[in-house]
Amino acid sequence: MPTDTMTATLALPAAAAPPRRRSGLAWLTPSLALLALFFVLPVLSLLLRSITEPEFGLQHYAELVGSWTYVKVLYNTLLVASVVTVVTVVLGFPVAWLMAIMPSRWSRFLMGCLLLSMWTNLLVRTYAWMVLLQRTGFINQTLMKWGVIDEPLALVNNLTGVTIGMTYIMLPFLVLPLHATIKALDPAILRAAATCGASRWQAFWLVLWPLALPGVASGALMVFVMSLGYFVTPALLGGASHMMLAELIAQLVQSLLNWGLAGAASLVLLVITLGLYALQLKLFPAKGGQHAA
Amino acid sequence: MTDTLRSPRRHAIATLVMGLLGATSLSAQAQQDGIVFTSWGGTTQAAQKKHWAVPFTAVTGITVQQDGPTDYGKFKAMVESGNVTWDVVDVEADFAAKAAKDGLLEPIDYSVVPKAQLDPRFSGPYHVGSFYYAFVMAFNKDIYKGKAPANFSALFDTKTYPGKRTFYKWSAPGVLELALLADGVPADKLYPLDLDRAFKKLDTIKGNIVWWTGGAQSQQLLASGEAPIGVFWNGRVHSVESSGQNVDVSWTQSLTAADVLVVPKGSKRKAQAMKFLAYAAGAKGQADFATDTAYAPVNLGSKALMSPAAVKTLPDQFTKGQINLNMAWWAENRDVVAKRWYAWQAQ
Repeated sequence: MPTDTMTATLALPAAAAPPRRRSGLAWLTPSLALLALFFVLPVLSLLLRSITEPEFGLQHYAELVGSWTYVKVLYNTLLVASVVTVVTVVLGFPVAWLMAIMPSRWSRFLMGCLLLSMWTNLLVRTYAWMVLLQRTGFINQTLMKWGVIDEPLALVNNLTGVTIGMTYIMLPFLVLPLHATIKALDPAILRAAATCGASRWQAFWLVLWPLALPGVASGALMVFVMSLGYFVTPALLGGASHMMLAELIAQLVQSLLNWGLAGAASLVLLVITLGLYALQLKLFPAKGGQHAA
Repeated sequence: MTDTLRSPRRHAIATLVMGLLGATSLSAQAQQDGIVFTSWGGTTQAAQKKHWAVPFTAVTGITVQQDGPTDYGKFKAMVESGNVTWDVVDVEADFAAKAAKDGLLEPIDYSVVPKAQLDPRFSGPYHVGSFYYAFVMAFNKDIYKGKAPANFSALFDTKTYPGKRTFYKWSAPGVLELALLADGVPADKLYPLDLDRAFKKLDTIKGNIVWWTGGAQSQQLLASGEAPIGVFWNGRVHSVESSGQNVDVSWTQSLTAADVLVVPKGSKRKAQAMKFLAYAAGAKGQADFATDTAYAPVNLGSKALMSPAAVKTLPDQFTKGQINLNMAWWAENRDVVAKRWYAWQAQ
């Protein structure tokens, strides 16, 4: 987004930086102002409602903690996000690794496949899974034709469906940062490990894995946090008893018009997210130029 | 990415920002006296546009912009922020009753809207009927060959009718009532609803329920046989039948309800909105819409204008065993029921 036009149209009151000192902050001012106006302010106003509507107090928070339903929704949310994160890492690591060691023509092709799926409309992808997974869907029909199963498997409207659909959608968000991390490693280290007598497994676990860990961690955090706030896919592929926090908030805002409680639920989501981020910073302090290839 | 854009947090923010900014592109484009009509999208809104908006503009010169889908959260945000961009909105009857209580609606100007012609069941001081529909039990004939279900108790008989059942997901009139009817509660003793009994009955098939969130999804579930039996909006089954799918409706019991048209409090084009209501609820507008959708007209004069074949498909032809859902009870108890409904669903 061309920042100069943004500043012109918004006519920001922010002090322009001294022209010759290109401090990072000056470049950030337009986007920070935009965020403050269109993100921070409205979020704060929603959170404010959680303690002022209908009267001042913490009653909404008491209700959230005190109601078995809401606690279960929170548990569902954390469970689904954890399962999806683990499965995504298990499936995504080999892909990122392959992309890093393949000849570039092939790795570009793989990357293209990843990006193509990312650019396809999310609803289309979710409905596609629905059609594939349902009892009368392609997967069940094929397995029954081959005589692998007698009864259709319940692959959708449950945790299985949510996990499959969300993992598929989240894969690129793990593979891309991880690929960058692995790509930056010197391939010679694995040869060195082999020379020193490490088996393939040892080379992987003792050499590659620790070095790739920051990439795994940042990718996994991204996947986990995005999963926490996920809405469309769990709503369509999950059953009603696996409701997640985002869907609950949507319900409170759109159909029950209980915005105080929605604000309280949003704050819970926000606190969990920021807490995780803080934890990651503690475990993997950002080092300058870590991704410098 | 789309998911976060559609996420409720953003959604709430978007509505609040709308309030902050004081205008949306839609109203900016709307002409001085044009109105914005909001409904649920899909085949229903297409018919509303074709049979109400287009001819209304031809007659009066007042333009009608389409927006949607109806969203009660947005509705409330608009009224609260005083920045109302919707002029006429199609909502469910129980929401209309609650919104009137909460002061979110403009009173209907019955000097413009022809009250005498309207079915009194579906119109009131703050709302005019939009169309009336029935929740009907329908089933996939390919799967249940020669075993037409007789009444709602078939939904709870997983031996004779195996497979998933599909019901409307949101807390709304309909599913609790049919559970009680299947459990043997006489139709005239339904209200006040015995919630404990209804949930207990629904518990017996809970593992076999697939919830549909919108009309299109319900059609897909039924036609594919994913859920060979369930309860649907009659117009949606009608269009599945019309497309040549092997499904059938059991009209022996049906539950009627209505969508209604309301004007959000603070609409800047109230006078034009009332004129639009007069046309939409008028005999001709209602007749054309009903012929197209198989939803019944709320105007008492419409049937005279419809072909006998079209009249045959309407929910009001099946009054035997039909039950009118009690919207007044729902308006009073909407929040209480919703809390229990969602808690039960989440268990």
